[in-house]
Amino acid sequence: MTDQPTQMSSVKLGLAVAWPAFWTGMPIKIVLVLLLLAMGQHPWEFPGLAFLLLLSIPVDIWAVGLSGRTVLLERLGVEPPDSLGLTLWWQGAALYATYGSLACFLERQTIAGSKAVVARILDLELLKAIPIAERISIELTAWGSIAAVVLLALTLGGLFLFGKLVQRQADAASPTAASYEARIHQWDLMRVPADQPLMLTVVMAVGVTMVLLLWAVMPVTTPHPHESYKQDEKKAVPMLKPTDALQKAERVLTQAEASVQTLEEKAKKSKGKAPTTQDKKAAAKQKKA
Amino acid sequence: MSSQPNVLEKVIAFVDERVGLKTLQAKMLNEPVPGGSRWAYIFGSVLLFVFIMQAVTGILLMFYYVPSADHAYASTQYIIHEVDYGWFLLSYHFWGSSAMVVMVFAHMSQVFLWGAYKSPREMIWLVGLALFGIVMGFGFTGYLLPWDQRAYWATTVGVEIMDKTPIVGDFMARFLKGGATPGQMTLSRFFVIHVMILPAALMGLAGLHIFLFRKAGPAGPFRGTPEELKAKTDYFFPRQIWKDMVAMGAVFATICSLAFIEPVVLLEEATPDPGEYHPEPEWYFLFLFQLLRLKIFSGEFGQFLGAIAIPGAFMALLAALPFIDRSPERNIFKRPVALIGWIVVMATILIFTVSAIINREFLD
Repeated sequence: MTDQPTQMSSVKLGLAVAWPAFWTGMPIKIVLVLLLLAMGQHPWEFPGLAFLLLLSIPVDIWAVGLSGRTVLLERLGVEPPDSLGLTLWWQGAALYATYGSLACFLERQTIAGSKAVVARILDLELLKAIPIAERISIELTAWGSIAAVVLLALTLGGLFLFGKLVQRQADAASPTAASYEARIHQWDLMRVPADQPLMLTVVMAVGVTMVLLLWAVMPVTTPHPHESYKQDEKKAVPMLKPTDALQKAERVLTQAEASVQTLEEKAKKSKGKAPTTQDKKAAAKQKKA
Repeated sequence: MSSQPNVLEKVIAFVDERVGLKTLQAKMLNEPVPGGSRWAYIFGSVLLFVFIMQAVTGILLMFYYVPSADHAYASTQYIIHEVDYGWFLLSYHFWGSSAMVVMVFAHMSQVFLWGAYKSPREMIWLVGLALFGIVMGFGFTGYLLPWDQRAYWATTVGVEIMDKTPIVGDFMARFLKGGATPGQMTLSRFFVIHVMILPAALMGLAGLHIFLFRKAGPAGPFRGTPEELKAKTDYFFPRQIWKDMVAMGAVFATICSLAFIEPVVLLEEATPDPGEYHPEPEWYFLFLFQLLRLKIFSGEFGQFLGAIAIPGAFMALLAALPFIDRSPERNIFKRPVALIGWIVVMATILIFTVSAIINREFLD
C-alpha cells in the first residue's frame, strides 16, 4: 500500500535522486553555456570552464536537494533534513572525483582493448574479404557492445554507491506519520513558493534580462567567416554637413555660370565666320547630349 | 474602493461575451493530467514551440533569400555575412530543423513506450505518423535551398532514392526535379513545398492531433495504483505548463548554443559536377544512406529493398501497430516484444549513423 514507505534498492535510490537532479540543473547550465558562447568564451576552455564549474555548484546543490527531498518524503516516508542538498552534493562530488575517475579510466581502457581485439579478429585472412561498409558496422557493434556493457556495469556501481549515500541520510532522518496523500501535499508545498506572483515576476524578470543580455553580447556579423567569402570593404561614408553641402553646390553653380558666359561670348565673336572643325565637334556633342 | 470594471476588464468581457474566452481558457488549461505532470510529457509542446520558432526564423530569412538558381547561393552568403544577426538566424533555423527531428523521435518513443497509441488513441497515433513524415519532408526540402554542393548532391541522392519507388517513383522524381538534372525548377518546387505546402499541412494536422488528444484525454502513467494516480492527478495549468516552459527554454538555449558552436558554413556553389565532394544526406538520413552501402543492398533490386521496401514496411508496421497490438497492457516492462523492438531499432539507427561518419575516412 502506498501509505507504507517503499523499500528501494541502493541502485534504484541512487537513480531516483541522481536522474531528476541532473535534468533539474541542466536547463540552468545550458543557459550559462549559451551566455558564455555569446560572449566569445568557450565553456570547455579555461576561463569559461572554470566560470561554468563555479556557477554549477549552487545549481547542483539546489537540484540534488530538490530531488533528494522528494524521494525521502514521498518514497521513503521520512522528513528530509534541511542540509540534504549540501550534504548529498559534497559527498556526491567526492564520489565522482574518486569512483568517477576510476570508471572513466576503466571505460577508456575497455574501449581501447576491445577495439584492438576486434580489429585483430577482422584482420584474419578468413575475414579479410568483408567489404568496408560491413566491416565498419561489425567493428562498431562488437567493440561498442563490450564498451556499453562495461559502461552499464560502471554506471550501476556508481548509482549503488550514490544510493548508499542517500540511504545514510534517510536512516538518520525521522519518519513521518502522515498519509501518502498528505506527504504528496507536503512535498507539493515544498516546491511551490508561498508568494507565487512574486516568484512569477522574478522568473519573468530573469528571463527578460537573459534575453536582453544575449542580444547585447551576441556578435552582429558572423564570428566564423567563410574562407572564400570576400567581404566588401566598407568605406566610411563622410558625415553630411548641410552648410558645407550648400557652399559646395553654390561653388559648382558659380563655375557653371562662368562657363556658360564664356561660351556665349565665344559664340558672339564667331558670328558670321565659317564653323571650324572644333565648332562642328562641339555641335555634334551637343546634339548627342 | 470602486467596483466599476476598468477598461481592460471591459475589453475582456466584450470579447468573452462574443467568443467564450473564459470557457476556452478553462478548457485549455484545466485539463486533468492523470498521475500529475511529468517531464516525459513535454515533447509534444516542445515540438510545437520548435515549429513556431522555425516559422519565425524562416519568415525572417525569406526577407533576404532569393529562390532562384542564380541568386540562392549568393543571397544565402549575403544572409550569413552581411545581414545583421543573419548568421545566427540561419544557424538557428538549421539546428532547429535537427531539433524537430530529435523531438519527433523522442515524442514517438515516449508514446510507444508508454503504450499511449492503444485504444482509444489510434487516430492520434496515425496523425502523429503523418506529422513525422511532414517533419522529414521539411528537412529534405529545406536542405536544397542554400544551393551549395552539399545541398545539390544530397537532393540528387534523395530524388534518386525516391525514383526507385514502384509505380509513383518515376513521376515523383520527375515532378520534384522538373527536368533532367536539378536546376531552377527543382529549387522553385522545393521552395514552394518548404514554405507553403508543408507548413499548411503541418498546421492542419497538428491542430487535428491536438484536438484528438484533447478528445481522448492524456493516457497517464503506465503504472501506479488508482490511489497513487488520484493523489497525484493535477491540472494542465500550472504544473505541466511550467515543465513545458522550462523544457522549451532549455531546447531554445541548446539550439542557440549549437548555432554558436557550429554555425552554418556553405560549401562551394552547386554545380552538376561533384568534383571531390562526396554526396551525403542530412545526419538523420545517414543511417539509411549507410545501410544502402551494404553489399546485400547493392544492385537495382537491393537498392529498392533497402531504400523503399524496408523503410516502407517499417512505416506500414508503425501505422498498423495500434490495430495489431490490441492488448490493454501499457506497462513497457510487461511488453517485452515492444521493448526489445524499440531497443533494436534505436541501436540500428545509432550504429549505422556512426558507421556512416566513420565511413567518411575511407571515401578519399
